[in-house]
Amino acid sequence: MERGKMGPKRQLWVLYIAIVLGILPCSSHAGAKVTGKLSVYVVNYPLKYFAERVGGEHVRVVFPGPADEDPADWVPDIKVIADYQKADLILLNGAGYARWVNRVSLPRSKMVNTSAKFKDQYIRTKGAVTHSHGSGGEHAHEDAAFTTWMDFNLAAKQARAIAVAYGRKRSTLKNTFEKKIIELEKDLFALDRNIKVLVSNNQSQPLIASHPVYDYFARRYGLNIKNVHWEPDQVLTDQLWMELQKILKTHAAKWMIWEGDPIQESIAKLKSVGINSLVFNPCANVPQKGDFLSVMQKNVKNLAVAFE
Amino acid sequence: MINIRQLEFHYQIGGFRLSIPEFSVERGERLAVIGPSGSGKTTLLNLIAGIIIPERGTIGVNNVKVGELNDAGRRDFRITHIGFVFQDFELLDYLSILDNILHPYRISGALTLNKKVHAHAAALAQEMGIGDKLTRRPNDLSQGEKQRAAICRALLPQPKLILADEATGNLDPDNKTLILDLLFRAVEDYNTTLLTVTHDHELLKRFDRVVDFKDFRL
Amino acid sequence: MLDSLYIAWKYISFNKLKTTTLVACIALISFLPMALQLLLDESERQLMSRAAVTPLVIGAKGSSLDLVMNTLYFGDEVPELISMASVERVENMDLAMPIPLYVRFGTRGNPIVGTTPDYFEFRGLIVAAGRQMALLGDCVLGAKVAEILDLKPGDSLVSSPENLFDLAGIYPLKMKVAGVLAKSHTTDDLAVFVDIKTAWVIQGLGHGHQDVTRLKDPTLIYKSSESNVAATAKLYHYTEITKDNIDTFHFHGNLGQYPITAVIAVPYDEKSGTILRGRYLSKQETRQIVKPREVIDGLLQDIFRIKNVLDAVISVVALATALAIILVFALSLRLRQREIQTIFKLGCSRLTIVRLLLSEIFITVLISGVFCGAMIFTVNQYANEIVRMLFIR
Repeated sequence: MERGKMGPKRQLWVLYIAIVLGILPCSSHAGAKVTGKLSVYVVNYPLKYFAERVGGEHVRVVFPGPADEDPADWVPDIKVIADYQKADLILLNGAGYARWVNRVSLPRSKMVNTSAKFKDQYIRTKGAVTHSHGSGGEHAHEDAAFTTWMDFNLAAKQARAIAVAYGRKRSTLKNTFEKKIIELEKDLFALDRNIKVLVSNNQSQPLIASHPVYDYFARRYGLNIKNVHWEPDQVLTDQLWMELQKILKTHAAKWMIWEGDPIQESIAKLKSVGINSLVFNPCANVPQKGDFLSVMQKNVKNLAVAFE
Repeated sequence: MINIRQLEFHYQIGGFRLSIPEFSVERGERLAVIGPSGSGKTTLLNLIAGIIIPERGTIGVNNVKVGELNDAGRRDFRITHIGFVFQDFELLDYLSILDNILHPYRISGALTLNKKVHAHAAALAQEMGIGDKLTRRPNDLSQGEKQRAAICRALLPQPKLILADEATGNLDPDNKTLILDLLFRAVEDYNTTLLTVTHDHELLKRFDRVVDFKDFRL
Repeated sequence: MLDSLYIAWKYISFNKLKTTTLVACIALISFLPMALQLLLDESERQLMSRAAVTPLVIGAKGSSLDLVMNTLYFGDEVPELISMASVERVENMDLAMPIPLYVRFGTRGNPIVGTTPDYFEFRGLIVAAGRQMALLGDCVLGAKVAEILDLKPGDSLVSSPENLFDLAGIYPLKMKVAGVLAKSHTTDDLAVFVDIKTAWVIQGLGHGHQDVTRLKDPTLIYKSSESNVAATAKLYHYTEITKDNIDTFHFHGNLGQYPITAVIAVPYDEKSGTILRGRYLSKQETRQIVKPREVIDGLLQDIFRIKNVLDAVISVVALATALAIILVFALSLRLRQREIQTIFKLGCSRLTIVRLLLSEIFITVLISGVFCGAMIFTVNQYANEIVRMLFIR
C-alpha cells in the first residue's frame, strides 16, 4: 500500500463513522418531530388500556405505578413526576382519583381530565367526614367516588376524551383514532348491554361489596349494593364481621362481590351465613393475565351466577 | 555686539517717541542703562530683542540686522541669541524649577530639547546654588532663588546677549549683590554681553559703562 | 506637539479645582443625553422584546399597563384578581394554550411567580442546576436570584408576609429550592417560580394539618357533626411542606374559583388569536384581553414624549454649560495675559501659544471624555437593573 492512501478497511471505518454521525442527529431529532409516537402517561390501568386501544402504534403509553399497589393510593417519586412532566399527554381519571396530582407540578396543557365532560355525574361518597375551618369555612372536598370506568358508558366517554386529545396532538391521524375509538366503544357498549340484560333478572337483590369501588357500577346498572371494607387477602376480624351482621339485618344479601380472589376462610365464613362470593375485579392495575376487556368479560361471567 | 544707528520709534497710542542716533555695546561689555520711568528703557530692550521694530534706522545684534528679519526670524533669533531676565522673574507657577529653566526649549522649534540640555540645565542650576530645588515649584523658593532660576532659563540656550530688565528690582540688598555677581560671572564664563536696565544707583559702579537714557528721548 | 501637551498637562494638573469643575461640567453634560438614550434603548429592548414574544394576556378589566407590567415583568402593582375559571374558559374555547400566573407574593425582595410547568416551556427556560419543580412547596430560582441570595438546590427559602401586620392572613411558607434556572437575560432571572398551587398555599387557601377527625384536644374542634368537623383557628397549619406531611395538604372549596393575576394565552395560530380576542369584546365582559406589544408600544411612546422634553431641557442646560465653560476659558486667558506676554518675549510664536491653549482644552475634554465613558460604561453594565427600578418596580 502506498503511503498517504487509505486501505479498504480504513475506508470502511471512515464510512461507517460518517454514517453513524450523520444518522445520530437525525435520529435524536426524529423523536422530536410532530409525526413521532406520542408519549402518554396515565394514572391507572383502565386509562392505559383505552389509550393503547385508541392510539395503537402511534402512541407509547406508560403507567409507571407498581404492579402490586392500588393506583389510587400510589404516589410517584420525584423522578417519576419528572417523567410525567416530559410526556406529551397526561391522562387523568378525574373525580379525585390520584390525589397526588393536586400536590405536584404538572404542565396543564398536557393534562387531560378524561371525566371532565361528566363532572356533574360524579358520586359523592356517603358517610365520609369532611372538615372545614371556623364557623363558615368551606369544606375540603376529596370525597368523590372515582372508579368511573366501572360504568362502561362513562368509560366509553373517557375513551372518547382520549381520542379527542390525540386528535388535537396529531390532527393528521384523527381518522385513524376515530376508527379505533369506535371499535373500543363497541366493546364497552357491548359490556354495558350484557350487564344490563344480565341484571334485569333480579336487579334489586341486595348485594354486599368488599370495598366501596362499585358506586358507578351500582348506579349504572341499578344494583342494590352496600359496602364493607374487607381485604380479599386478609383474615376477617370480629369487628368486621360484626359490621357485616349489622348490615345484613336490613340488607339480606346473598352475594358478596369481591374485588380480588378472597381467601378460603372468608369464603367459608360467608357461606356459613348463606352468603356466596364472586369476584368482579375493577382492574385498576395491570392484570396478571389478559387485558381490561377480557377481565371485564370474565367479571360479567362471574356476575351472571348471582343473577341466575 | 549691539549697533544702533538713526533709530526712531514711536507708539501709536500715547505719543511716546524714541530717537537714538547712535548706540553700541561691545561684546563682553557689562552695560547699565539708567533713566527715569517712562523714558523708554524697556522699549529699547524690546527693540534690541526684535519684539518691536523701529520705523527708521538699523539695529544690529551680533552682526544680524534684527529689524530686517521677519516675525519668525526675529523670534528664532531672540530665543537662540538673547536671554531675558525680568524684574518679576516671570516664572510659571505650574511648572517645576527644572521645567521653567527648560521652558524656552519647549516653546520654540529653534531649540532642541535632549538629554544633553537636561544635564546642562541641572549643572547650571547647581552653579547657581539651586541644584536641590529643581523639583520644587516657584512658590516654594525665595525671591533670590527665583531670580537665579530665571537666570538659568536665560543662560541655558547660551545666548550671546543677556537683557536684564530691573533684574534686581524686587530683591533685598544681599540678593541684589548675589544676582549681579551671578550675571557678571555668566558674562565671563559664557562669553556673553550684558545689558541691564536698572534704577539701582548703588550697583552702577560695578558696570563697565553706564548710559543715561534721558539723552535718547524726544 | 508633545511639548505643548506636556505644558498643558502641567497647567491642568496644577489648577485642580478649575480642571475638576470643568471636567465635571463637560462630563456630566455629555453623559446625560447619552445615558438617557442608553436607558431608553435598554428599556425599549427589555420591555419590547418580552412583550413581542408574549402573544396575549387576559386579566381583570382595568389598567392594561398594570396587568402587562405585573404579568411580563413581575411588577409590584398587583392587578385585580381573576379566577382559574378564566383559564378553563380559554381551555374550553380550544383556541389557545392558557398559562395561569399568580404574581402577588414575594420573598426577600424578589417576586414569587405561581404558574405551571407550561410557563418554562413557553419562555424557553432551562434548569441549569437541580431539577424542575415537582412537588408542592418546591420552588425554582431565576439565575440572578440564586446568585444574590446565594442559594442552590436543596436550600430553603421563606415567603414574605404581605405586610408586617398580616397576623391572620398570608403566613410565611418555607419552600424548598428544587432548581436554579440558566440565565435568560430577562425578568425571569429575578423571580422565584412555584407551582400555582404552592402560591395558593402561601395565601392560605391550601394547607396541611393533622387529621381533624382524629384530634384529641377539644379546643381544636369548633363544631363536630356526623358529616363534618369544623376546626378552630388554634389548629396548627404546617409552615413547611415535607415528605412526611405533604399528604395532609389539601384545598378547600372549588379550585376553579381560586385566584390568579393573569392568564397568558398562546394562540394555536393567528386566526385562533383573532377569534379569541373577539370573544372578549362584549360590553358585559369583566375580563380584558390585551396584546402586550401594543400596551408596551403605548408606554414607550409616552416615554419617548417625555424624553423629547428632557432632550430640550438638556439642550438648554448644555448650551448654558457651554457658555459658562467658554467664559471660564476666556477669563482664564485674560488672567494669563502676563504669562503669554512673557513667553512671547522669550520667543514663542503666536501659533505655539494657540497650540498651548488648545492642548489644555483638548486634555480637559479628553479627561471629561474618559469620565463620561466610564460613567456610560457603568450605566450600561447596570442598565438592566436601572430600567427595572425606573419603569417596572
